[in-house]
Amino acid sequence: MKAKWFRYVILAFLVVGILLVAGCSDDSETAGNDSGGDSDGESSGEKMNLRVFVPTFSTEPPTDESPVLKKIEEYTNKEITMEWVPNSNLEDKFNITLSSGDLPHVMYVPSKSPSFISAVEDGAFWELGPYLEDYPNLSQANDIILNNSSINGKVYGIYRARDLGRNGVIIRKDWLENLGLEEPKTVDEFYNMLKAFKEEDPDGNGQDDTYGMVVSKYEGPWDVMQTWFGVPNKWGEDENGELYPAFMDDNYMEALDFFKKLYDEGLVNEDFAVMDPAQWSEPVVAGEAGVQVNVLDEGHRIQEKIVDANPDNEDPITVIKTVETDAGVHNLPTSGYSGMLAVSKTSVKSEEELKQVLDFLDKMNDEKAQILAENGIEGQHYEIVDGKYESKLADDAALKAEVDGFNQMLMYLPEPKSLKAESTPLRELEENLKVENEDIVVPNPAESYISDVYSKKGQQLDNIIIDARIKYIVGQIDEAGLEEAVERWKSSGGTEYMEEINQLHQDAQ
Amino acid sequence: MENVQEQTVDQPKKKSKWNQILKEKWLYFMVLPGLIYFILFKYVPMWGIVIAFQDYSPFLGVWESEWVGFEHFQYFFSNPDFLRLLRNTFILALYDLVFFFPAPIILSLMLNEIRLSFYKRTLQTLVYVPHFMSWVIIASVSYVFLTTGGGVVNELLSGLIGKEVNFLSSPDWFRPMIIGQIMWKETGWGTVIFLAALASVDQEQYEAAIVDGAGRFRRLWHVTLPALRSTIVILLILRLGNFLDTGFQQIYLMSNSLNRSVADVFDTYVYFVGITEGAFSYSTAVGLFKSIVGIVLIVGADRLAKKVGESGLF
Repeated sequence: MKAKWFRYVILAFLVVGILLVAGCSDDSETAGNDSGGDSDGESSGEKMNLRVFVPTFSTEPPTDESPVLKKIEEYTNKEITMEWVPNSNLEDKFNITLSSGDLPHVMYVPSKSPSFISAVEDGAFWELGPYLEDYPNLSQANDIILNNSSINGKVYGIYRARDLGRNGVIIRKDWLENLGLEEPKTVDEFYNMLKAFKEEDPDGNGQDDTYGMVVSKYEGPWDVMQTWFGVPNKWGEDENGELYPAFMDDNYMEALDFFKKLYDEGLVNEDFAVMDPAQWSEPVVAGEAGVQVNVLDEGHRIQEKIVDANPDNEDPITVIKTVETDAGVHNLPTSGYSGMLAVSKTSVKSEEELKQVLDFLDKMNDEKAQILAENGIEGQHYEIVDGKYESKLADDAALKAEVDGFNQMLMYLPEPKSLKAESTPLRELEENLKVENEDIVVPNPAESYISDVYSKKGQQLDNIIIDARIKYIVGQIDEAGLEEAVERWKSSGGTEYMEEINQLHQDAQ
Repeated sequence: MENVQEQTVDQPKKKSKWNQILKEKWLYFMVLPGLIYFILFKYVPMWGIVIAFQDYSPFLGVWESEWVGFEHFQYFFSNPDFLRLLRNTFILALYDLVFFFPAPIILSLMLNEIRLSFYKRTLQTLVYVPHFMSWVIIASVSYVFLTTGGGVVNELLSGLIGKEVNFLSSPDWFRPMIIGQIMWKETGWGTVIFLAALASVDQEQYEAAIVDGAGRFRRLWHVTLPALRSTIVILLILRLGNFLDTGFQQIYLMSNSLNRSVADVFDTYVYFVGITEGAFSYSTAVGLFKSIVGIVLIVGADRLAKKVGESGLF
């Protein structure tokens, strides 16, 4: 009996061992096939195999079998393998991919992060600048944004264009109407509105269950609002042409005191410093908060959710650009692009291959490719009825899963050409404000400068200031504590950072 | 004479060792997968720590990267962050040792005293459950419970004592909160080993103690605890080896702008510097420093245990 049992155990180990060995050899075989396919493509002029690394906002991104991808492959004459990365841990995955040394052909670069810059310095990516003029769409890229996205003037990735003036204020219109208020034009009116939203029972349910503005752990809204007070966008320029960081601006304290007042009077949610940004819009939808400082297009998303829950409340949201302060009318721009598509040198070895990849990227800006990647295939994913675009994706999860996410490969150069749903008044308002915003946004004079110190310690330096600002708002530190934080910023490398940025600024003049 | 004798003694010994190995060859064969696993997945990757002494760049590779010796270590020790990180990590580890380590021992002693076997088993299963929850879930549950303005605990507090406590964002509450979470999650699971040790206690000793007139607490003190002693010591030594491991996930999830001054520990620092800033060499050096402290503590504790007469680890 015992011997038999023993033999089974041995057998089990052997099976496991064989599986392991088989598993390993399997891997290496497929890997071999892959590279074989690659070189075939080069020599016989067949379709080039491209690996594309882009973020996905869906838990089920399209597979490589998607009919939409097949059409895109056909149109661009390439063989495409998608490498989807969940947007929530994109930075991590991006850095880990960089450190692996095995980069996909086309790689989405979320920002000019220190790791991207050092990868560029090590020669991981092609410099694309000199090639762009040969391509009909890429050559139409906006020079200012191209410069913003460059590393000291050299272009290592093709930016994905976005509106510059995307920031704004989202307001519960139904609450304004209940209280007989107008949309705020000045910062005082803005404050009075928040106060009324808290104290005057804007939802009319007789209970003290509302407050003014919802903010989350994400620090963006403070950055936007301090710009209203005349605080520069990251770097300001004094009368001598010297650059200084935004928190050294004279208006900075005024802005922070305003934030502190909002917090002290309970006009902002008390737990903002710990609130998960994923839940940021929920209090507005649920009727707890009346205001959110966010990108303008969040307005119609919130509106749709409120209407979904209560169809009687037909038009509950309005949006404004900004409010006026003593410093004038200002708003914070977005960078004008959302990440870049870079071409790696590890996968794309020769200039001929690079030209093929650029040809692919260029074609992705054609109207036909934009529609494929954003809207899908006519008849399958959308119909044109009486000249109007009607998407079928909303009702069918399986269809949606065939398209959803390919638009991450789009750069919209020179402009978006995909099909749009019929506009609602709110969406139209949002679009108009985005255009109007472009006149009042404050540019960052140091946008394209790449500082060594910042590459090494940027995150820590930024955290010192961000943390101090939040501590000041909630009253954990006073003005002396704020000055202490600035001193710590300086001694942790901030002084060198300032000198470096100013040196780069002088060189650029 | 002596020589001959030695040889005759030595020879069969050697032979018998081989014979024994041969005789138990299947046992050695069975240990092979485990051995291969450790070599392949635990020892081979260790050579990666050489990048702690380099200015490592992924595109140059390990062989081409520049050697910088101890530069990263020097920078780390002279960094103003170092003392803060060391302090935060040490205090958390100390709290953990003082408050969390005894908790499973006490709980298993309590469970051991339960006579009704069905009740005991049900209870045991129930206290295991939190161990299987991920930190992400525990962090969100904590948020729902502890947040101000609608959190259950704070509703209760404002009803009872008339004011709310900002557990999530106050630096003073950070450490108690972290230790509380660990205790909630892991205490039950920690009893497994102690209960196993308790199961092996000879029941006759209890009977003898009863005959001698020992009450419940006497029995606990003179029979149960001594039986657990060596288990406790071994677990303590192992725990010291992980002394500076504070659990990255938990701390990362619970930290925010307002409590970062106490929440920054080595683990989160390695993540921020290594992954978000791409300073691979530097963060490897920091991680290596942490491991060395771990080894020193574990060997030191082992020696100490042997000195006081326990069996120790090695």
